[in-house]
Amino acid sequence: MKPASFIYRFLVTLAAVALASVIGWQLWVYYMESPWTRDGRVRADVVSLAPDVTGPVVQVFVHDNETVQTGEPLFQIDPARFTLALAQAKAALAQAEATVAKAHATMLNAQSNAQRYAALSNNAASAVSRDDATTTAREAQASYAAAQASLAAAQADLGVAELNLDRTTVRATVNGNVTNFSMKPGDYVAAGTPVIAIVDTDSLYVDGYLEETKLRNINVGDKATVELMQGGPPIQGHVAGIAAGIADSERIATSTLLADVNPTFTWVRLAARIPVRIALDKVPEGEKLVAGMTCTVSIQPGPRQNATAATADASP
Amino acid sequence: MIGEVDIYGVLFPPLLIWIGIALLISAVLRRGLAALGLYRFIWHRPLFDLCLLVMLTGLVNFLANHYF
Repeated sequence: MKPASFIYRFLVTLAAVALASVIGWQLWVYYMESPWTRDGRVRADVVSLAPDVTGPVVQVFVHDNETVQTGEPLFQIDPARFTLALAQAKAALAQAEATVAKAHATMLNAQSNAQRYAALSNNAASAVSRDDATTTAREAQASYAAAQASLAAAQADLGVAELNLDRTTVRATVNGNVTNFSMKPGDYVAAGTPVIAIVDTDSLYVDGYLEETKLRNINVGDKATVELMQGGPPIQGHVAGIAAGIADSERIATSTLLADVNPTFTWVRLAARIPVRIALDKVPEGEKLVAGMTCTVSIQPGPRQNATAATADASP
Repeated sequence: MIGEVDIYGVLFPPLLIWIGIALLISAVLRRGLAALGLYRFIWHRPLFDLCLLVMLTGLVNFLANHYF
């Protein structure tokens, strides 16, 4: 077959090139510039629960992966020592009360003595003995005040003892799931050392690690769609916030207070990834979110957007 | 859909698969065009073939995102 005329062939090819350029550009914008990322993670706040008192565990009420509600007891530290401490505090309180009573009686006696001395004539009592009686009365009053202060201290001690006893039962502080938990009665736990992690299921959110080149199109409040790697229906959400800073990997902390900047600078550079926090508006029924899951996050830029974003929106 | 394509535990970006599909279609299409002798309307055949692949990739990508 004879080829068509050159102009004709050229124009057909040119049309193909033009069309391919447009489509290729759309693809490029879609994959490179529209604000979506495959690098998303489901996250949740994790409470590292530590006991407030030290002692051996006598009872564990929950098992691994159990769902707990706020206030639910998790485990119990041996209360014996704290019960004894409470008894001790009660005894100390009774003692303090007795001391107050004694000081009170002494004070009343000293005061009436002082009054009697004051009523006597100068012949019957010397000024010295009168002053002595007044001093004794004042001392007794001071002792009484001191005894009352001791009583208040003893009452506070009793409160501390009661609190310690109460804190032997460690309770959940959030609604969530106990995770990676292995505790058996007999384990010795120390105050302040975390022993149980509770994943706060009320706090589940998604962090999309978006390249810095895509941040321009993202604003707080923009709609976002989250698709889990496991599949299932997409989850709707919105941008709750954009991280204000990330660590600089080119710079190493030093002990000399001077910057240590990595001298090797690569010719091929990679865009830094900035965490964009997505609040989940509605998690579909039955969808089981696990903190740490991978997901794809795509953000639909809001009305305030620039031309690039508009093109990206129109693309396939 | 912007998901993942799972091939025995290794997850690929779907674009890779769409390009693969477009490549297959273009291979068939090129044979068809050659058999029908339509390449006589083409000035620069390799250039046209490249454009064909890009267009098909766009088409497959569009269809996949809208119907898959």
